[in-house]
Amino acid sequence: MDKVLELKDFNVTYKNKSKKVYAVKDINLVINKGDSLGIVGESGSGKSTLAMALLRLLPEKNTDINGSSNFANMDLVQASEKELKEIRWKELSVVFQKSMNALSPVHRIGEQIEDIYRVHKPNARKDEILDRIKALLKLVNLSDRVIKMYPHELSGGMLQRVAIAISLIHDPKLLIMDEATTALDVVTQGQILAEIVKMEQTLDVTRIMITHDISVVATTCNKIAVLYAGELMEVGYVKDILKDPKHPYTKGLLASIPSLSGEKETLTGIPGHLPDLSQKYEGCIFAPRCKFAMEQCEKSKPSEVQLSAENRVWCHLYSHLDRDEQLESREDLVEVNR
Amino acid sequence: MKKYVTKRVLMGVLTIFVVFTINFLIIRLAPGSPISTIMGKDNDDPLLRAALEAKYGFDQPLILQYFIYLKNAFSGDLGLSIIYNKEVLSIISERLLPTLLLVLTAALLAVVIGTFMGMYAAKHEGSRVDVFFSGISYMFNSMPAFWLGLILIIIFSSVLGLLPSYGMINSRTSLTGVDYYLDVIRHMILPVSTLVLVEIPIYFRIAKSSIVQTLNEDFIVTLKATGMSERKIFNKYVLRNAILPTITIFGISMGYLITGVALIEIVFAWPGTGDLMLTAINQRDYPTLMGIYLIMSVSVALVMVVVDIIYATLDPRIRF
Ligand SMILES: Nc1ncnc2c1ncn2[C@@H]1O[C@H](COP(=O)(O)OP(=O)(O)OP(=O)(O)O)[C@@H](O)[C@H]1O
Ligand code: SF4
Ligand SMILES: [Mg+2]
Repeated sequence: MDKVLELKDFNVTYKNKSKKVYAVKDINLVINKGDSLGIVGESGSGKSTLAMALLRLLPEKNTDINGSSNFANMDLVQASEKELKEIRWKELSVVFQKSMNALSPVHRIGEQIEDIYRVHKPNARKDEILDRIKALLKLVNLSDRVIKMYPHELSGGMLQRVAIAISLIHDPKLLIMDEATTALDVVTQGQILAEIVKMEQTLDVTRIMITHDISVVATTCNKIAVLYAGELMEVGYVKDILKDPKHPYTKGLLASIPSLSGEKETLTGIPGHLPDLSQKYEGCIFAPRCKFAMEQCEKSKPSEVQLSAENRVWCHLYSHLDRDEQLESREDLVEVNR
Repeated sequence: MKKYVTKRVLMGVLTIFVVFTINFLIIRLAPGSPISTIMGKDNDDPLLRAALEAKYGFDQPLILQYFIYLKNAFSGDLGLSIIYNKEVLSIISERLLPTLLLVLTAALLAVVIGTFMGMYAAKHEGSRVDVFFSGISYMFNSMPAFWLGLILIIIFSSVLGLLPSYGMINSRTSLTGVDYYLDVIRHMILPVSTLVLVEIPIYFRIAKSSIVQTLNEDFIVTLKATGMSERKIFNKYVLRNAILPTITIFGISMGYLITGVALIEIVFAWPGTGDLMLTAINQRDYPTLMGIYLIMSVSVALVMVVVDIIYATLDPRIRF
């Protein structure tokens, strides 16, 4: 399968004058062509940081990015500004979490979209651009009037839809949506997500969906990555993990969501809060909040346990699946791939 | 937009009216009277006093004086100067051009130079040039303008003998054509430099901070993420957003200039309204003083209206 993005030992550290914040730690992740990966985790777990670092949009002065992130035959961590400019938006686009302020307040929306279109197609004809803009606006359920309007004349949800439309303008290979539909009502959100999923089938877009909303992941993603305090807890197919979460944190996350079927269940949630990210921890970072925590959890960091071809978990509860067994499952995998 | 302009103009007229009224009252509440000035210190003839009071309308009740003045002012009649015994309007209009020349030249130079310095410093924040600009900007900002003017006179006229220190033209020669204008420009250099030097820091700082702030806005990140060139982002998107505070400051600072230029005119013996105002204050020349204040407040109000309208055309969030 074609790899679209491959993160190896990806780390992001914010440096302030007095301290460092280890916001993203040792991420190893592969996204294949056609995948749609949901990244979930509570607020502050480093989801946006991961996305912004991938795009190399964090100010270089006060951030350190380590490891590698391979995309379109280059390592985005090492790529020069010029190389980045080539692929930005054409191959790799994003819908920002703060789409409220994603556009200049004193320029008409149409003018801004036109400028963005021209970044990669400087000689495009005006009517060609207009046709493209209209098609995209239709996709996100907005009227053409928006072209002549200013950002402040639109609601938050409308701006979010404009941001989604703009992200699709050059049919990117990889699309990152950071809480892109949070300001939308359920109906509009459903409509737009359905449109995007439909579009992905015709154009080959690979999507990373950052969200708090597991139901969005359930309906629009095939894979899920659970992030806690900047570390991966569990990665795998949505269908497996939602049905049978392995990691205690994933279990907690799923238990804190009201059941979709409407059955009354008690929401357990996860007591406690995120650890201080300016510290380094020896053991499992989730240990202070984990009800299954064992002695070794405090002492050593759990390493990756490969449960199946695509499903991995980082938790001592599964370390007993010893190497042989892991090897076995890898052999299965090889067979499956054959 | 039309509605906004109308509203703004009406507000301007109202402001002038209020200022006009306040000026009228304050001048009359101040101790001293023009009649005593005309009659001289030792003369105290009640008949002469009554006659003079009647001539200038001081025998009427205050409220009536006010309405008469208001009515006349509307028809362009600002009364007679007590000292010069001439139409106030004609005295002022003779002096207005030199003042405007000074104020407009200084304001435009200051806003252009200061803004460009701010732009450069913002782009190269923390660089040596930025530190240097910020340093001299603090220095000139803390200097009283008249004092700076005197220093410049000492350096460039007294010591170096390069530039004339007073007046608008060399009265001992009668230049014509291009030479005349060149002479005026030579005379303008010091007073204009003084005003520009004290005004630059204001524009420098507002431009720098506003650009730095705009560069940190979320939409800049969006544009960067699209691969747009830094130059286009800066020239089109950053500047248009960052220039708004400069426009506001330009209006406010023009207000200060129009009124504050008087002191500089006195330092450089510039034949403008400032010099006229000083004499009028000393001599209690109410009509002239009222006239100058009126012209000043009209100018300030006019500038404010124009600035607000420019602002509204640049910032779509202002309209309605
Ligand atoms: N510029 C910064 N300097 C220092 N720390 C930062 C900076 N930006 C973010 N952080 C820290 O990094 C951590 C991750 O933040 P991030 O915005 O990536 O979280 P998130 O998962 O996107 O949260 P949310 O769901 O609320 O958007 C947080 O603990 C935050 O405090
Ligand atoms: S490693 Fe231990 S503390 Fe961490 S999640 Fe697993 S059981 Fe809990
Ligand atoms: Mg976020």
